[in-house]
Amino acid sequence: MDLILQFLHNTGFYLADYRNLIMIVVGSFFVYLAIHKNYEPLLLLPIGFGVILGNIPFFKGFGIGIYEANSVLHYLYFGVTSGVYPSIIFLGLGAMTDFSFLLANPKLMLLGAAAQMGIFFTYLCALGLGFTAPEASSIGIIGGADGPTSIFLTAKLAPHLIGPIAIAAYSYMALIPIIQPPIMLLLTSKEERLIRMPEMREVSRKEIIIFPVVGMILCTFLAPASIPLLGPFFFGNILKESGVVDRLANTARTAIIDTATILVGLTVGASTQGDVFLNPKSVGIFLLGAVAFSIATASGILFGKFMNLFLKEKINPLLGAAGVSAVPGSAREVHMMGQREDRTNFLLMHAVACNSSGVIGSAVCAGILWSFLIG
Amino acid sequence: MFGLEAIAHNNGWTIAATGAGIVFTGLATLSLVISQLHKLVALLDRPPKTIVEVVVEETKPIWMPPDCPNDIQVAITLYQPLIEELPPDFELAELYGLAKKYHLPHPHLSIRCLRDAGKLQFLGDGLFRYVA
Repeated sequence: MDLILQFLHNTGFYLADYRNLIMIVVGSFFVYLAIHKNYEPLLLLPIGFGVILGNIPFFKGFGIGIYEANSVLHYLYFGVTSGVYPSIIFLGLGAMTDFSFLLANPKLMLLGAAAQMGIFFTYLCALGLGFTAPEASSIGIIGGADGPTSIFLTAKLAPHLIGPIAIAAYSYMALIPIIQPPIMLLLTSKEERLIRMPEMREVSRKEIIIFPVVGMILCTFLAPASIPLLGPFFFGNILKESGVVDRLANTARTAIIDTATILVGLTVGASTQGDVFLNPKSVGIFLLGAVAFSIATASGILFGKFMNLFLKEKINPLLGAAGVSAVPGSAREVHMMGQREDRTNFLLMHAVACNSSGVIGSAVCAGILWSFLIG
Repeated sequence: MFGLEAIAHNNGWTIAATGAGIVFTGLATLSLVISQLHKLVALLDRPPKTIVEVVVEETKPIWMPPDCPNDIQVAITLYQPLIEELPPDFELAELYGLAKKYHLPHPHLSIRCLRDAGKLQFLGDGLFRYVA
């Protein structure tokens, strides 16, 4: 009888805490969004399932939970806390990225730079709300709308916040179709949304091959702390563009990035144990994340309008919204917004250029913030 | 610590302004570099300058007919071979055509010179015969 009672005391039913139940509901909602609504399923499904997995109540001390040494989840989580998974994801991302659109119209890179202003604005807001400088930097980087970069910087500066920050970053990326369109409509006139972009020039193969080398040297010389992200990113890109290692490029953009995405999603989800995750700080992080994302979108659009004051050939300011590095969600959203006004206006390729610039920009920002606070 | 005091205490203004400035400068520089990349590539693609050895061949002096349409001897020397190519009775237009073909100078004047000297005898119906 004692044995049965002891067993019952060790079951999840007995150990369940209301916070675990709340998180299980949240995780189930993510799974629902991913499967039924098709909202960023590649991210939300592993994260949602991870949230459920991480909130199954267990008897502490057996090496089961993600925060317990020697547990399997803890070992898998090491890839997150050490920043290994983000680097691997960047490798795959580089092998997927086509920079030819950016090379054809380099001034679009400025929109990617402008959209990073959300990071620094949110950094100030977080400091003002009482977060420490490393925590504020980790929260601010959500404005880059780049999950791996957010995880990487948080792992380095505020590892205790990885769960909420990663969830916030990925959630807002999934919510791009809801967050960005109202900001685009609010900040642009119909005439501006109707602006057509000029046809892109043809980019030579040599330019495409030289770019990853030049880009990596320039960016990492400027912010050496961004080497773990931009190094693999540009390496993945040269694998793709060189055309001599198709096997490697193909593996990087399929098996490698998929494996890393699965492990990141699952372990980040599992790191949201109710007792660790549900606290006022997490709520603050979610609110600030929304601010970061919105400001990033707005600053990109406003800078596009500012550029138009000086440009003979005007650019469509909607493209500024794609300066955040949510690839390819924000580019798709910009394109759809443009098409809503004029079915024959194709902004997708130009928006992808801003997107790729945003990826570089947010990684540089992460490197800068890390190097400022590392001392 | 909260608010502006917290920002100032953590050097927030400086970090934010410097960070934003660095990102902007960095990406603007990269943008500038890649905007010039195609020029660099074009420079590299330019075919190498090859040293072309110009061999000046010794040209044989080209024989040029003497330019004197009123000299009957010269006209005979030049036009007799042409007349031999024609039938015995020929039209002046045929002789003129041959003279043009062989790029002889002043065919009109030369043929007139031959006529005036009686070397081209008129047969009627536009036909002429050469008189040796």
